[in-house]
Amino acid sequence: MTAQIAAFLTVDGVTTGSIYVLIALGFVLIFAVTRVIFVPFGDIAAFTALTLSALQTKHLPGTVGLVAALAALATLLEVIRLARARRPGQIPRALLFYLVLPLIPAAAVWATAGMTLPLPVTIILALALILPIAPLLDRVVFRPIADGTVLLLLTVSVALHFALVGLGLLFFGPEGVRTEPMSDYMVMVAGVPVSGQTLMIMAAAVIFSGLLFLFFEFTITGKSLHATAVNRTGARLMGIRPERAGTIAYLLGSLLAGISGILISPVNTIFYDSGFLIGLKAFVGAIIGGLVSFPVTAIGALFVGILESFAAFQNSAFKEVIVFGVLIPVLMWRSYTFAHSEEDIDE
Amino acid sequence: MTSRRMQVSALAVGVLLLIAAPWVLAPFSITLMNYIGLYALVALGLVLLTGVGGMVSFGQTAFMGIAAYSTAWMTTVMHGSPWLGLVLALVLTALVAAILGAVTLRLKGHFLSLGTIAWGLAIYFSFGNLPGLGQNTGLPDVPPITIAGISLEASGRIYFLIWFLLLVAIWLSHNLLGSRMGRAMQALRGGTSMVESLGINAFGVKLVTFVIAAMMAAFAGWIYAHMIRYVNPTPFDVTMGIEFLMMAMVGGSGYLSGAIVGAALITLLQNSLQDWLPVVFPKSAGQLEVVVFSALFILFLQYAREGIVPFVAGLLPKQAPPRPARAEPLARRSQPTPGLPLLSVEAATRRFGGLVAVDEVSFELKSGEILGLIGPNGAGKSTMFNLVTGALRPSAGTIRFAGQDITPAAQRKIAQAGIARTFQHVKLRPRMTLLDNVMLGTHTRTKASFLAGMLRLDRAEEARARQVAMDDLARVGLDADPYELAGNLPLGNQRVLEIARALAADPVLLVLDEPAAGLRRQEKLRLAELLANLRKEGLTILIVEHDMEFVMNLVDRIVVMEFGRKLCEGTPAEIRADTRVQEAYLGGVA
Amino acid sequence: MTPTHMNGSVPRRRGRNRFALTLAATLAATTGAGMARADITIGFVTSLSGPSASIGVLYDKGMTAAYAYKDEIDGQKIKLIRLDDGSDPATASQEARKLIQQEHVDAIIGTSSATSTNAMFAVANELKVPFIAISPVNIKTPADGNLWGVAMPQLPSLMIKVIAEKMKKDGVKTAGFIGYSDAWGDLVYNGAMAAHKDGDGPEITTNERYSRTDTSVQAQALKVLSTKPDALLDGGSATQAALPLITLRQLGYKGQFYGTPALLNRDFIRVGGKAVNGVEVSAGPVIVTSQLPADHFSKKIGTEFHEIFKKVNGGEADDGFSGYTFDGWLVLLNAMHYALDKGVKPGTDAFHKAIMDGIYADKNLAGVHAIYNFKPGKAYNTDERGLVVVKLEDGKWIYQP
Repeated sequence: MTAQIAAFLTVDGVTTGSIYVLIALGFVLIFAVTRVIFVPFGDIAAFTALTLSALQTKHLPGTVGLVAALAALATLLEVIRLARARRPGQIPRALLFYLVLPLIPAAAVWATAGMTLPLPVTIILALALILPIAPLLDRVVFRPIADGTVLLLLTVSVALHFALVGLGLLFFGPEGVRTEPMSDYMVMVAGVPVSGQTLMIMAAAVIFSGLLFLFFEFTITGKSLHATAVNRTGARLMGIRPERAGTIAYLLGSLLAGISGILISPVNTIFYDSGFLIGLKAFVGAIIGGLVSFPVTAIGALFVGILESFAAFQNSAFKEVIVFGVLIPVLMWRSYTFAHSEEDIDE
Repeated sequence: MTSRRMQVSALAVGVLLLIAAPWVLAPFSITLMNYIGLYALVALGLVLLTGVGGMVSFGQTAFMGIAAYSTAWMTTVMHGSPWLGLVLALVLTALVAAILGAVTLRLKGHFLSLGTIAWGLAIYFSFGNLPGLGQNTGLPDVPPITIAGISLEASGRIYFLIWFLLLVAIWLSHNLLGSRMGRAMQALRGGTSMVESLGINAFGVKLVTFVIAAMMAAFAGWIYAHMIRYVNPTPFDVTMGIEFLMMAMVGGSGYLSGAIVGAALITLLQNSLQDWLPVVFPKSAGQLEVVVFSALFILFLQYAREGIVPFVAGLLPKQAPPRPARAEPLARRSQPTPGLPLLSVEAATRRFGGLVAVDEVSFELKSGEILGLIGPNGAGKSTMFNLVTGALRPSAGTIRFAGQDITPAAQRKIAQAGIARTFQHVKLRPRMTLLDNVMLGTHTRTKASFLAGMLRLDRAEEARARQVAMDDLARVGLDADPYELAGNLPLGNQRVLEIARALAADPVLLVLDEPAAGLRRQEKLRLAELLANLRKEGLTILIVEHDMEFVMNLVDRIVVMEFGRKLCEGTPAEIRADTRVQEAYLGGVA
Repeated sequence: MTPTHMNGSVPRRRGRNRFALTLAATLAATTGAGMARADITIGFVTSLSGPSASIGVLYDKGMTAAYAYKDEIDGQKIKLIRLDDGSDPATASQEARKLIQQEHVDAIIGTSSATSTNAMFAVANELKVPFIAISPVNIKTPADGNLWGVAMPQLPSLMIKVIAEKMKKDGVKTAGFIGYSDAWGDLVYNGAMAAHKDGDGPEITTNERYSRTDTSVQAQALKVLSTKPDALLDGGSATQAALPLITLRQLGYKGQFYGTPALLNRDFIRVGGKAVNGVEVSAGPVIVTSQLPADHFSKKIGTEFHEIFKKVNGGEADDGFSGYTFDGWLVLLNAMHYALDKGVKPGTDAFHKAIMDGIYADKNLAGVHAIYNFKPGKAYNTDERGLVVVKLEDGKWIYQP
């Protein structure tokens, strides 16, 4: 391997790693607040890319139907819950949050379907359409079992991923998409051509990991979000509603996943099921960060990207074996340094 | 007796129906039954691993794959017999499982499960790339299994092998769960500190459970290879591993029958979905299958987390088994001569980073006395307690027990030496009966191995251990219903049950961590009476307690700790009179 | 048996629908299903979900076209049962048994991946029911010498040999290889190595692999570049086969690209854009039907196929896969005609045997892909006229005579 090739591989690895960073940060964010390991995160990224592509090719993306169906379901559950709790006064508010707000982007996309829109508008529409999915899934799927063990939540999360992949195939079909490139800019770094697209991906990763770190360390909302994860009852006593904290986490996480989906789709073909492996590798990064630390997660996810790139050069057939094999020592290290005491798996 | 006879006859009818099935049912139903049996075998391993042992594994298909590839390689590349293939499959799977287990089973909680995903994927991706295994295309033309010249190619024939293996596996598992090691497996969910305090090698039990579950997956993999007669990487993806986990959870992961029920339900559900979805959604049935399936599973976990078997069992009338027949209890150890030093703590120190929780504390405990260790909150009592029981190691100092230095010993070695403990927050197995909970205490006094338990070679020893447990339940006054579930007892009785479990270990020293905490006055009085009786029987007791009144009336001597140091030591009357204690501790109360 | 499933016009409609029934009822329901029926039933399995779905859908469209082309034989209506195997070999195998044991089909067509097709073939051999493989298979003839099926695709080694010969003809001495890390990637690589050994193809300098959902193949492309090959052989399939080609062009590689019929995919062209222009692949003649000379064997049937495909599926048949299903159907139709001629009743073991006899008796059947002459004990038709070389020029595949 020459220095030139090593430079190429590093740039490639950092690009891939940056995508993983964005998704891994979402994993940590959601886990920190809700204790849910949100496996379908990669799917959210893939769905954003597929939605954007549908908008660009002037099709009505299937996500519209998905959002509408989820909104209806969540509203129904929420109204039933409020009616049972004899709090009908809160129903209008529930309708606003669970029905009206999610349906606004869906309606906007539906209304503009088939029109030729400028690139930034399609990107904003795709992001807006994707954002409600995870919070609505949280309401429908996770909130009834919010008190369950991490493992129960993980198992449900895995099942949810399967359901979403099935829906992805239904809505978007089996073929992959590539969206229009956002920039033709090219710059040489250490003899390696780096595209504007690559720079945007890296910049997004740096900016968002920094912002999240600041948000959690220095803002009251950030700190209260974290408090929810540590102790739900305690947080409630302190006036923090865990449900609301969860919704914020899912929204922020979806934004990260959505952005990564949008940034990756011009450089690589995205399929309805592309999210799983991307998500899984991002997850390796999140575990390096112990599912708690944003900076370490970002470094971990970058490491996975670079490792993958070099492994692919050395022996492409064993690339995945190497990436997932590395997870085991990482897990051992993490398990020993895990701050919390033993979590008993009890009934 | 009649209930037992009914169970036996129900079992006999069930087995007869299974034997008759190929003549009664249509061929495709037998094919379905084959898949159900095969999947149930893997799910059964998961029941032991996850439901019983509390280790959630997503990676069972990797073991299935190793076994399937082993036998396929043996039969297609080496042209050996499928039976040689079975030997290779079992040996190789056990070896890989033992290595993986040794590396990953120390991981805690969800880290362990994530670890199973990691090695599950790594092994899966290896299948297509290892030389000599047909790459990603796989190994075609795997021959059928033959038994005494009869080929099991037809699904109506391999059916017998599958269900025979499954029933044998269930029988062995059932025996195991009713044995010494089986109880240890069930105890794993209570957390390592409880398990180790009973003298059980938690990691060892985990590892063997893991290998047993892998062996079941290996049998399934072996059959799979000779049934599908084609082996390639895709079926051994983590996806299928997750499906197996779903089967165990849907059936009821805490129950052996849950494996069959779950496997049957999911296999039949998938088959039915395939049948009716096209009618409802003719255009997109294939895609919707997985969606509907996952949605049903999520709904299931939202509304019936425990699974179907416990749900149905709850509807059936319960019949308590008869009280066990009397047997000779296990031999007891000889208690040391009263009055001689039994436990001596010499300048024990424990630091947590910069904080010194216990600072050069020394005291001695004589055989046959009750010593109270008291102090205000944060005085270091609990840390001291953990040093004595081996849950923590001292940073400096020595702890001697019965003349032996136990300072560096592991928790379970200390338990084996004769120190039995209880917990401040009661650590019982709520889903186990009182009897089984107490029998856990006899672990160090019995020997039966996993194998002996599975093959029921442990019956004599079991009867003796059961007698010990019955005696100890009587000793603490909880023998009215030994088959009650521990979780159903009120807190006071749960504490007493913990003491019975500690007594079942036939300890030399009983160490109690705040036994009176959370008890009502009546319960405290009864507890004090019980402890006084135990002293009469010659047992040495160390109590760490917050409740002054409880301690004062019970103990022979008291050690007072404050800010990690020993403040003073003496009889209750001396302590009561000590002004330092009044200042530090009683002062605040008075 | 409900009357609804007799309606052949509704796709994927099948026998007893009994979702709500319990285990006992499910098992009981299938017990009395042993009687022979008067009509002919054919089972069709493909992947409509899972990783093979993108190819599976094409096979499915081919089936729709084939069934629209002809849904009866000698006045007897043919009932078609369609199943999705979810890209899983165990499911495919289970479905083969279901079709045979529960639905008593007279023959089976399937499925989208080589591995699943092999699994189904094993079931067909065991239960002695004719099987039309529409993906490449790799199966040994049973001890009694009776293979219960045939494979429609051109022999994979032939697909690669044809393009390897073209490379050699073009003066290519060395070629890099990037392919999928799956069975298809293995086939192409091994085929190219074999062709080189036999002196028919160039030397292969790399064996780089990637998977469909990978985010980048830059590392693999760099590895190829470092061996400085004259050309590149692409062992991917469908859309994502374009990824290494795009990456190599970005890295400044100027050599010619070659591939296999697996690249014949509309989305490959769309996604690949300029980078894939000029790629040459071996293909069945169905890809370039309109450019074929009028006397070409596949001109007439190919034209018919394209017309009916467009009518029932609403788009052009610009892939190779749908043609395999169509040809499989043609082979079956002739064989069933042969069996009915012999007076054998559908739904019986004798009918199964007669179909196989019919397949072997049929000589020089012109399909959209090849001229078929199957021989007992051999799964493949090895007629080299079934492959041509086509070149992608400005988004269209151009016949290279």
